[in-house]
Amino acid sequence: MTEQMNENRYLTFALGKGRLANKTMELLEEIGITCEEMKDKDSRKLIFVNEELKLKFFLAKGPDVPTYVEYGAADIGVVGKDTILEEGRRVYEVLDLGYGRCRMCVCGPESAAELLRHHEMIRVATKYPNIAKDYFYNKKHQTVDIIKLNGSVELGPIVRLADVIVDIVETGSTLKENGLKVLEEICPLSARMIVNQVSMQMEPERIKKLITDIRRQLS
Amino acid sequence: MGKRLVHTPEGVRDIYGDEKAARNIVEHLLQDKIKSYGYQDIQTPTFEFFDVFSKEVGTTPSRELYKFFDKEGNTLVLRPDFTPSIARCAAKYFMDENVPIRFCYRGNTFTNTSNLQGKLKEVTQMGAELIGDDSVQADAEMIAMTIEALYHAGLSDFQISIGNLEYFKGICAEAGLDEETELELRELISGKNYFGAEELLEGVHVDRKDKELLLQVSDLFGTAAILHDAKHAVDNKRSRNAIDRLEKVYQVLCEYGVEKYVSFDLGMLSKYNYYTGIIFKGFTYGIGDAIVKGGRYDGLLHRFGKDAPAIGFMIVVDDLLAAMNRQGAVISGVEKCAKLYYTQENFREMLREARQMRAAGKCVELLPKK
Repeated sequence: MTEQMNENRYLTFALGKGRLANKTMELLEEIGITCEEMKDKDSRKLIFVNEELKLKFFLAKGPDVPTYVEYGAADIGVVGKDTILEEGRRVYEVLDLGYGRCRMCVCGPESAAELLRHHEMIRVATKYPNIAKDYFYNKKHQTVDIIKLNGSVELGPIVRLADVIVDIVETGSTLKENGLKVLEEICPLSARMIVNQVSMQMEPERIKKLITDIRRQLS
Repeated sequence: MGKRLVHTPEGVRDIYGDEKAARNIVEHLLQDKIKSYGYQDIQTPTFEFFDVFSKEVGTTPSRELYKFFDKEGNTLVLRPDFTPSIARCAAKYFMDENVPIRFCYRGNTFTNTSNLQGKLKEVTQMGAELIGDDSVQADAEMIAMTIEALYHAGLSDFQISIGNLEYFKGICAEAGLDEETELELRELISGKNYFGAEELLEGVHVDRKDKELLLQVSDLFGTAAILHDAKHAVDNKRSRNAIDRLEKVYQVLCEYGVEKYVSFDLGMLSKYNYYTGIIFKGFTYGIGDAIVKGGRYDGLLHRFGKDAPAIGFMIVVDDLLAAMNRQGAVISGVEKCAKLYYTQENFREMLREARQMRAAGKCVELLPKK
């Protein structure tokens, strides 16, 4: 009974909008999974379907991808490690896709380096309050006041809103232009494939095959 | 002020009308099935001393417990789950009992989880515990009963995934992993995080063969066929015994005729410390997490002074109902109530009619005619 249902059931992918989604579609194409509908740039569709392979794809804002996957609105998601750490959702994190590589760092002006050597209270501006909190409380044992910002976090230390920032660093050029530098590295980041726990148990064969194929393609 | 008073705090909610009626029906269906196996109702207090749910007993992390003080300054906790309470109760009142005891329960549990994640802080749990029986038959009874209860309640498409902690522990012992690494690895493997586990083991001094075995655990899930592969992969006794046990339980489950609902997952390593052997979880579409959790906890009663093996399971009723709702399952038996309208003049007649209908077991609502 279960098998019959599975054959007719679509596997749904939630992809983080932008470069990550494009890279993922390229990778999937290499293992024989395509979605022609998605290549049409003028399309206003929200969900793209591959009827033959019974697959569906949709694009979502990065931080929402783990949410869709946790609730089973998507079976599989591709999203940055930063989002997984920040959102703390209950999903299986099954693959490091290798692209979208960058680092989560504590940054600030040179002068702020001294503040990180003591345990006194500092102010930290970030888009990632959970990651920042975990790092300062549990790894550095330093008391911090976390200020959540929604963009242009580099402004924080410049306008004296915060002493340091916690943010993603790719090339470091934005930091450099604003007189900031990487003070400490928290962890490396890259794109990850996540799977809904229930989907994994209900359709182990189909999802296992997908993981094995991608793993082989990556190595 | 009036407007503010109508709201409930985040994570709790009112349940009324048809939803409550459907819920009662599902709860009764589950209960009927469990009762038919000879399980007896037990009711424990809503709050207990903190120590019953402390870290040593190994349930919910302390920061997720609702805590408060009594007048003597003792720390009290709203129960986050039932199993420790029932273990305490069994140890207290059945200290000298040597025959198996069967309990079932239903009630609300409380966990202070984070906001805005769409999770309830108060949910209804229903479950059963079988104390004093460490046989294969006891394991199978618990799993078969879970399957039959879910099916009886109206759920048709679901899987019970069974694991055995001992398999993983056997390999860890063989590899000589320290406790901290083992816990970290356990977390990664239960998250099916193969590459994360690979990265962790790169930094640890472990035999290459053991390393491969440990990593492979995250891939060992699926039909009963994986048990064969899993068994031949290892040569330590502890892991082999773990598979033996699963194979025997599977045989009994086949006798029950419920094998199509059963799969295996050796990478399922619960975060609850009290589980000792077989663990299982129930999954269905429409809900992101397991709706059933269960397993063997042979060491738990010892904490309360009685040495007895035990196995149990619990169903999160709220999650089961949410899944059934999303799957479009029909919950039958919700009784519609008849309405009788009366005026000042004919009230006596209407009342008599209503009473007759009620005596005949019908549901009647009396309303004034406008």
